[in-house]
This record gives sequence, structure tokens and C-alpha cells, in this order.
Amino acid sequence: MASRSAQRELAVHRRLMEFGEAETLATPVWEAKGTEVATIEAQLARLWGLPDASDGDGEARVTEKGLPHARASVLNLIVTVVDAEAAEQVVQTMMSLGVRHPSRAIVLVADHQARGAALDARISTHCHVAPAMEDERICYEEVILTVRGEAAEHLSGVVAPLLIHDLPTFVWWPGDPPFAHPVFDQLVELGDRLVIDSADFSDLLVGMRRLANLRRRSGVGDLAWERLAIWQERIAQFFDAPRFRRYLPNLNRMVIRYAVPAGHRRASRANPEMPIHQAASPMAQAVLLAGWLAARLEWRRYKTLEWLDGRGFRLRLEGRHEMVDLHIQPEETDSVTPGELTSVHIRAYGETGAAEFIIDRSADEATIATNADGMTALLRQVVMEEPRPAELLSAQLTANPKDPVYESALRAAVIFLAAARSGEPLSSRNAEVSAAQELGG
Amino acid sequence: MPPASTTIVPVLPDQVAGGDGARQIANPLREGLRLERIPEPCTMVICGATGDLTVRKLGPALYNLMLGGFLPPEFSVVGFARRPISDDEFRELLRQGIDQYSRNRPVKPSVWKSFSRGIEYHAGEFGDPDSYTDLAKRLDRIDRDRGTAGNRLIYLAVPPALYPEIVKQLGAAGLAETGEERRDGKRGWVRVIVEKPFGSDIGSARKLNREIGEVFGESQIYRIDHYLGKETVQNLAVFRFGNGLFEPIWNRRYIDSVQITVAETVGVEGRGEFYDQTGALRDIVQNHALQLMTMFAMEPPVEFMASDLRDEKLKVLRAVKPMTVADVADNAVRGQYVSGWVEGHKVHAYRDEPEVDPESETETFVALKLSIDSWRWAGVPFYLRTGKAMPTRVTEIAVQFRRAPLALFARAGAPQFDPNILAVRIQPDEGILLRFGAKVPGQGLQIRSVNMDFRYGSSFAVDSPDAYETLLLDAMIGDPSLFTRGDEVERAWEILDPVLRAWPEGRGGPLHFYGAGTWGPPAADELLERDQRAWRRL
Repeated sequence: MASRSAQRELAVHRRLMEFGEAETLATPVWEAKGTEVATIEAQLARLWGLPDASDGDGEARVTEKGLPHARASVLNLIVTVVDAEAAEQVVQTMMSLGVRHPSRAIVLVADHQARGAALDARISTHCHVAPAMEDERICYEEVILTVRGEAAEHLSGVVAPLLIHDLPTFVWWPGDPPFAHPVFDQLVELGDRLVIDSADFSDLLVGMRRLANLRRRSGVGDLAWERLAIWQERIAQFFDAPRFRRYLPNLNRMVIRYAVPAGHRRASRANPEMPIHQAASPMAQAVLLAGWLAARLEWRRYKTLEWLDGRGFRLRLEGRHEMVDLHIQPEETDSVTPGELTSVHIRAYGETGAAEFIIDRSADEATIATNADGMTALLRQVVMEEPRPAELLSAQLTANPKDPVYESALRAAVIFLAAARSGEPLSSRNAEVSAAQELGG
Repeated sequence: MPPASTTIVPVLPDQVAGGDGARQIANPLREGLRLERIPEPCTMVICGATGDLTVRKLGPALYNLMLGGFLPPEFSVVGFARRPISDDEFRELLRQGIDQYSRNRPVKPSVWKSFSRGIEYHAGEFGDPDSYTDLAKRLDRIDRDRGTAGNRLIYLAVPPALYPEIVKQLGAAGLAETGEERRDGKRGWVRVIVEKPFGSDIGSARKLNREIGEVFGESQIYRIDHYLGKETVQNLAVFRFGNGLFEPIWNRRYIDSVQITVAETVGVEGRGEFYDQTGALRDIVQNHALQLMTMFAMEPPVEFMASDLRDEKLKVLRAVKPMTVADVADNAVRGQYVSGWVEGHKVHAYRDEPEVDPESETETFVALKLSIDSWRWAGVPFYLRTGKAMPTRVTEIAVQFRRAPLALFARAGAPQFDPNILAVRIQPDEGILLRFGAKVPGQGLQIRSVNMDFRYGSSFAVDSPDAYETLLLDAMIGDPSLFTRGDEVERAWEILDPVLRAWPEGRGGPLHFYGAGTWGPPAADELLERDQRAWRRL
């Protein structure tokens, strides 16, 4: 069994496990305005040090059961945010990561236009008391850095000395990342994996295209993709049974609906725990799901049928044996968070007529139906809860750095978005050319 | 730009299983998905469907698997037992069990509604051939109606005495036939899950293996031994074979001795009748302690897969030096607890427990010295101890390394310090502990042992999934790595056979008594003192 299947095993176990609940105690340890990187470094080093006789200043020390705390370090996490308020939200999300926390988290508030002291720092320790572990405490530290002026243009120099050496480093960039900015490149270069949320992109096509063309050694993790995991699983399940698998090359219609707020009421969010995720591009998940199926099933773009004002589209694609109509449509609802999928309907032709594979979600449940082979329709009800932000982040922190399945889905999504936006019907020959251009080839 | 560039992703070679069109093409949507362990559609037949195990464990496990989406929509359950109840009554029984014992409760009505549609009850006598022919017809109907494709998982949730009869009847009704040999021409797998204990000595284990083997092939038989959770097995394997640091010193050249401890604080807790006929040797040593030892001592498998792992584990068991009845007194100690205090509570003597014979000679404590005669382990003693009413609950394997060749610091005034220990803790906090000597800061030369302590829980996730959920899923998927193979079970019984024979005959040393809340009788300490060693204080 290679490492890959071992990872699968682990992933399954993760799903079988209750998500690690834990109480978190945050303890501010040290704070300074207008400080130096070397000073912060020294403070972090002292944090886990032995209390020694010469140190009588009574500063906070992290201890466990009265002993100096020894720990196994797992990863660094760098988070960049726009302001102090966003920093606070990030800290909240990290605290609810439960026991799956980074060993050291550095939250960067960078403002190159601001004046004043170049560097403020605040160090806190966070200790979880997990119910299953009795009096055991698990601690990590978090450093909030506010960087102003010119130093904000050279963030990697500020952050690098503060990381725990030789550990995997994740860079989480909530919001709309400044792909073109040198600071972005610096930080991405520092990390092993970049975590973003494509639903936060102000322009979905531009953002996804940049992401697909990112030159990097690090992999990309997309929280919008992570939210699709359960949908991918359910869709794949339809075709696990060999008798249904033969429909796969014959799919001819796929309708994906995603949630937008009902009426004109904005932002009555079903998931108030997720303040960072504003869903600037609620279509992200739907397009990624379409891209995933297209990439897996080797569909090619053929013709654009309709472009619904940035909220959806209809494309004709060329499948293995059939032409496929792909519809992406918004659905007004308040029962799920904007951007979440509400239904996926797939149709195929088989020897015994049409077959339908349907997932309809309402709130935290879904009806899954298979109607094929002239057999009794198989219907079942399953739980389909929206993952919490901490869960999404946690999954990203344990995932593989590179995810080729995501990368191919992203490239396909870029092709669809570009095609739909161009709006005009294209011949398949043209499609090939522009698809190649989309991919930066 | 070549036209091929519009194909968004090329067909990966491993997506096609076999080139000829007749073979199935793998599900391309599974590529790279996180959850890749959904079993094929199947029907699970529970023999003993109205019993405690079904209500407390199997029902909740299946419900949780369904809730998590781990079961295919076609998945069906047939409960098979004597009690004449209806489908609905059986469903209600399961539902009540879930409401009471499931880790997710109460039942979500909508999920239950769709799940329970696939649940049926088959009333019948286990000894009546007609019940099985009717069962076969019922299963065929379910295959047709629900598309379960002839795949069957049969769970023997009945007392072991009933196994032979049920297995024989299943065979006679053609319910054990698999794949091409099937009379009905259908393909599909049939697997049978057998609960522990598997036999009570070498004779009964061989007999049971023979009886089941007449009907089912070894690859169809899944013998449960879920003491070692999947996480633990994998953790141990990764620790040993995923690191370059430890394996080179994992042998007689560097290791002095190994101690395996399985200590429980509880007494027999309402299982008096069962325990009094079983004893610690059968209850813990034959399966759990020996499993731990094999995982610890085995050679690296060629691949990390069930058959290779089991081969290597069996090799360890085969290399265990055979004992004779005459050796037992020198290598085994048995004990039984008398009243005492555990964790601040008064504990009655074992003989005062309900359903226990007041003159019982059953052992509640065993200490055992084994040798593994292999190139890797020759000359390294393996000390096993297990007991009830011990001071703390702990399961661990501790490696004691050889001392440094020279007591260099003794001349500088520092006495010889304790040897290095590497302890693999299984319960309660799974982790690894390394003990080494360090100089105490100061002018003199004092050496102190310090512990470096790693816990899986504080570095990664804490809980493991419920054992029955993992086991059922593994059996449906066809991964037998957590189940014990027939030859392993037999060999484990063989190793203990001299002890099992000696003790009831009054040979092999007397039954010692120890106070509840102590680490067993002094005789257990003497077993190690004879070798100039001592049990770890835990």
C-alpha cells in the first residue's frame, strides 16, 4: 500500500471522527509597539524555555501539569489580513480549529500606506482543553504583527525569522489576493501551500486565471473546492456501481444550481460563523464542480449558448459519446449560505432509456435519487451540513501540498468562464485555440 | 498548439483496469477524491439480529456509516433470528438501539426513513434448513429489487457454540458460494464475520477453523480482533518503517529486553460467569498481548497490505520458542486479586464477584516470559504482563536498550543511571516516550533520566472512529488487515497451550494472590529479578 492510499485511509478516518471539539484558552503573553523582529524572536524563544532562577520577572510561561511544556511541532501558518478587525476574525477561526491547530500562527496586518511605528507585535498562547484528554492541554502560539510603511513591502523578511524551522508552512490569504503584487509572490514563495477561497475573488475569471497560471513551488488549496468535497463524494457514489458507471460516457445534461440570497435582501447569512467569507463570487463552487466533472470525463468546450449576466451560463460541451448541456444557475434561497450548491441534476442516455442522477439539498439534508435501468428509483436521505470554516481550514492544513485534480478542475473552470463571458457562439476549432490561450500556452 | 490541448486532462493509465473492453473501467470520478472507500452495493445478513451486539453495536455502527454517507444507497440489511417479529418491529428494535447507544443520536427521522426501507427481518430457526433456503430466496429478491448485485456480508452475532451449525446450513443452502462457482450464475462476493473469542484452546480453534473452512474459503472469513485499532496498527507501522532512525537499532544488538503491559483498573464488571471460564491468559494474552508483540517484532513487510502484514506477523509467532509443560513454572506467573483499593475505591476480592466460583482458580493476572528465536530477536526476552484491578489503566510496549559499554561517569562520581527506554504507549494517551540520561546543570556531574514525551493527541487529531464502524466498512470493502487469519489464531493458541494445560493440573506454579490496586504478586517481580531486570513502574 503506497503512501497515497495510506493518506486516503487517514482521510476516511478523519471523516469518521467527530470533529475535534475543544475549549480554547487564549493567554496574552507579550505585546510591544514599535519593536524589532529580533526582539519578537527572543520572546518566542523564551516562551517554551525552562524557568530559570535568574528570571524573576514573573512573565507568563507555558507549562503543562506544572512541567515545562514539550511538544511535537507540526506546521507554521501565515495569514495575511487587511486590518485588525479581519485579524480578530482569523484568530477566532483558528481557535475553533480545535486540536488541529498550527504549531505557530503568524497573522500579518500589512499597511504600506500607514505611518507610525514600522512594527507592532502581540504574542498570545492558545491552550486547548480537549474533553477526551482529561487534564491534558495542547498549546500553540500566535503572533499578530502589524507592519507599516515600507517594511510592509518586504513581509517575507519580517516573517521568515519567526517561523519554526524546517516545518511545512502554509500561507492563508483570505479575501481577494493581490496576485500581481510582489509581496504576494514573496509570501507564497515562503510557504509550501497557499490557501485561498476563490469565492472571495472580486472577479472570478481574473482570479481563477491568475491562480491557474501561478508560477510557484507551493500547491494551492481552495476553500471553495473544499466545500465541494461532499458533493464530489455523492456524485462519484452514483457511478461506483458498475451498472451505472456505463452511463458516464453518455451524460448529456448537467444542471448545477447554487444559492444566492433571496430577493434583494443581502447577507442574511445562514452561517454567521463565517464572517470572512463574503462570497463575492458565489458562482465559484458551481463552476469548479463543472470543471471537475469536465476534466474527469474529458469534456471539451463546444459552444456557448447563454451567459446569464455573470450569475450563470449555458454551455454546450462535447463529451465522449454525446453532446452535454451544462447549465449553471443561481437559486434564490435563505436556507443555505450564498455560494453553496443547492442541487445537481445529471441526465444520461442508456440502452434502456434516459437515466437521472439527482441531488437536491435543503438546509442540512439532501435527497439523493437514482432513476435508471427501469428499476425502482433509489431514493435516500442523507445529512449534508455546511462545513464550518475551521473544518475547511483544518482539512486544508492536513491536505497534500499538490492536488492535480483541483488544478485540472480549475483550468477547466477558467475555460468555461472565459467562454461564457465571451458570449458569442464559437466553433469547436476556435474553442481549441482560445482554450489554449486561457491556459497561458 | 496541438489540438490535444483542449482535452482538459489526459486519461491516466491507472483509470483503466485491464485493456479489454469486457473488463470494468474504474470510476474516473474517484481519482484523487478524499474518500475513496465506499463499498460496493451489498446486503448484510446479521445472524442473531435481536441480540445485544446487534442492538448496541452493529445497528448504531451501520446508522453512523449511513449518516456519514459511507454506505451505497443500495445497501440492505437482513436480520436473521428466532424471535417471530415483523420487519417493522425489527426496525423499531434497531432504532431504539441507535437512540440509546449511537454516538450520533437521536435518530434523524428523515435519514432513518430512507435507511430503514432497506432493512428486513427474517425469522427462522438456525438449525432448520428451510430458514436458509427461504433466506436465499429473500436475498435474491433484494438483489433484484435493490441492486445489491449478489454481494453478501454475513455477520455471526451469536454465541460461538452456534457457529458450526449456522455455517453448515449456510453452506448447504448455497449461501457461501462466491463468484463463478455460484449455482445461480451470479457474480458477487460473500464474506463472513466471526466474533471473538475464536476457540478456547488449540483444539477448539482448529476444530472451528476446520468447520468454517469446509464452507468458506479463508479469504471469505473475517475474524474479529479489534483490540488493536486501525490507527494503532498504522501508527506502529509508520513509526517503525517510516523512519530511518529506529529500525537499524530494532534488534538484539541494541535492545536488551522488551516489556508489554496491558493493565486494567476494572475488575470483571458483570462478566463474572464468562470471565471465570476464560481467565486473563485467554482473554488478553492469546489475542491482544500477542498481537502487540507481533506488530512490534515483525520484519518489514514487502508491501503495507493485509496479506504481507499477516505473513510477517505469523512469522513472529512461529519463531516464539516453544515451551514445555515443565518450563511453565519458570516462565509464567498467575495471580488472582483479593480485596484492595483501586483509584480510591474499595474493590472486592475476585472470588466475591457475582457469578464467580468462590473457590475459583481462574487467573486475573498473568506474567509471562517469551523468547523469539529469530535472527533479529534471539536472546532478547519479551516480558508480558496483564491484569485486572491494577493501579492504572495502561497498555504499552517498552523497549529497554543496552547500557553504554562503559560506565564512564562512575569514575567522576556519577552512579550508573537507568538504561534508555523507548516506550510505545497504546492507551490511554497514544504516544511515544524516550528516556535518556542528561547531566544535571551545575558544578558536579550528576546524571538524571529525563523523558521526552510525544503524544499523537497533542500533535494531531484526538479521537479514532468507532471500532465497529471501521471493521464493518473494512469487511465490506474487502480489507482484512484488521482481522486475524486462521493460521495466526492457531499459532497463538499453540504458544500458550503448555500453560493452558499445566495450570488446571496444578503444575506450572501455584496461583498467587495480589491485592487489588497493586502490580500483581511478588512472584511476577521475581520473574524479572532472576534476569537482573525489573518491571517498569507505570
